[in-house]
Amino acid sequence: MGSNCYMEFSMNKPLVEIAGYTNWRKKLILMLLVGSLSILVVSLICLNFGVVPINPKDIISLLLNGTQDKTKNLIIWQLRAPRIVLGVITGAALSTVGGAFQGILRNPLADPYILGVSAGAALGACIGIALQHATGYLFASYLPLFAFIGAMFSLYLVYQSSKISYSANSTGLLLAGVAITFLFSALITILLAISRKELQSMVFWLMGDLSAANWKKISIITLPAIIGCLLLFFSSLDLNALSLGEEEALHLGINTGKLRIRIFLIGSIIIASVVSFTGLIGFVGLVIPHIARLLVGPDHRIMLPASAFLGGIFLILCDVLARTVIAPTEIPIGAITAIVGAPLFIYLLRRKNK
Amino acid sequence: MADNHNVLTLKGVHFSYNNNREILSDINFHLPKGELLGIIGPNGSGKTTLLKVISGILKPKKGEISLLNQNLNKLPIEQIAKFISVVPQDTWVTFNFKAKEVVFMGRLPYVSRLRGETLEDYQISREAMEKTHSLSLAENNIQEISGGERQRIFMAKALAQTPQLLLLDEFTSHLDLNYKYEMLNLLKRALKEEGLTIISVFHDLNLASIASHRLLLLNEGKIEKIGLPQEVLTEEMIQKAYGVRPILINHPRLKVPQVIM
Repeated sequence: MGSNCYMEFSMNKPLVEIAGYTNWRKKLILMLLVGSLSILVVSLICLNFGVVPINPKDIISLLLNGTQDKTKNLIIWQLRAPRIVLGVITGAALSTVGGAFQGILRNPLADPYILGVSAGAALGACIGIALQHATGYLFASYLPLFAFIGAMFSLYLVYQSSKISYSANSTGLLLAGVAITFLFSALITILLAISRKELQSMVFWLMGDLSAANWKKISIITLPAIIGCLLLFFSSLDLNALSLGEEEALHLGINTGKLRIRIFLIGSIIIASVVSFTGLIGFVGLVIPHIARLLVGPDHRIMLPASAFLGGIFLILCDVLARTVIAPTEIPIGAITAIVGAPLFIYLLRRKNK
Repeated sequence: MADNHNVLTLKGVHFSYNNNREILSDINFHLPKGELLGIIGPNGSGKTTLLKVISGILKPKKGEISLLNQNLNKLPIEQIAKFISVVPQDTWVTFNFKAKEVVFMGRLPYVSRLRGETLEDYQISREAMEKTHSLSLAENNIQEISGGERQRIFMAKALAQTPQLLLLDEFTSHLDLNYKYEMLNLLKRALKEEGLTIISVFHDLNLASIASHRLLLLNEGKIEKIGLPQEVLTEEMIQKAYGVRPILINHPRLKVPQVIM
């Protein structure tokens, strides 16, 4: 019989070793432990950086016992800590959604802004800033609301226009997303062109900015971000199956049409709510999922949480650079993420291919 | 009812995309449990479309398909996935999963999204790899093995799905001669020992003739002939469907017709 050689080969090693399936829960728990610990350590390190030097000993005693020094207390608790927490949530949300979108589109170039949410949020925010300067009212605290309404409006437009054609696949959504992004970007360009004083605040918003972080903002976005990311997490197995192809996923009993709408809506709402407070931070959602895949493999059940941790860590490290490199002037964080992220990404890809 | 022995029955099935030209017209046949039915026919005759209609991906415009005495098109796809599994022609995987992870995906119709898989799911996946002699590939990355090896992994995945009906779309096309033998033996074992029923699209008429209990010859979306290999692979039928005059000989050992040029 021709089968003998295969049998011999597989008897060389015990079966358990060859086809050893490790329980995914073990992998997940290990990953969560390592991730949480790293986030904690990196956050503590990031607390040390800022315009006003505070030595690490003071920070530790301040965190453990509180302190009489009101200025230091204020700097740590009201300036640096909220900024770090907002950075972690934003980075985690962008990366998780990016990973899920890459999975659902079977396209490694997808990013969280692919459905035009970014353009909508940006247009909303720019209108807010322009109104503030035109009318003299202080819209600043309502800026996130403007951005969120803009994002939801663009998402609605994209969804409605995609329904007209190609309803069966994601091409319609993608094309509609591209079209709406171009349309809104043109409107933003016009706004930028006719603005004078408010130009810098608009540009800063467009590049992303964590400097206005406070606990109130954090309390607003934390819950939707966590719930949304959990919902994405529970679609992990379906996302895994989709990488075999659309038809294969159907053969495995997965309603790919419904899955796609669900992932897109949940993802875009998470992104809209986060980005409304931070501005458009680019690159994180595109690159971090790839790095996560290189580190822990493509299984979305492990990869999505790993992306969240890596994204959080990456963003707060970039934020430290943004506020220290030419302090006291701040660089927009969106510029830093790309400057740091692009070479890192290319390095990792090269190392993997060796 | 005679229907009780049939895994699959098609009655007057028609299919077309958006009311254009009919791709399948008036397809009628039934498939008893334990049979391997080979679908043959020239390019564009509707072989793959027929397979998609049977797997429930495409809905027929007219007619009825019953799977184990249930109306296929009224079953939710989660349910169909427990009865039918498919080995596709295209086995590319977007992200670089390990081969064993791909095989495990065959268990997805049974895995709760909240609770995750059980040890039994791993056990069944492993057995499926043993049956397809692909255990040695388990730890390899799916994008880094050959097309033939990928096909064996997809075969293992289809078996891990523990179906009643297995659909194969030209599954031997990337396989070397030795693996073709291997797979034919595997299919025979699956028919006998696991009570599977199989429909396979074949490009290679000679392989179809050897492997199948019955053949279904499609021509321009219609069944030209369905029956035993010696009834279907005749000079007349082949000339009708393919428009060429073949030379037919009898396989010296298996006594089934073979087509030579």
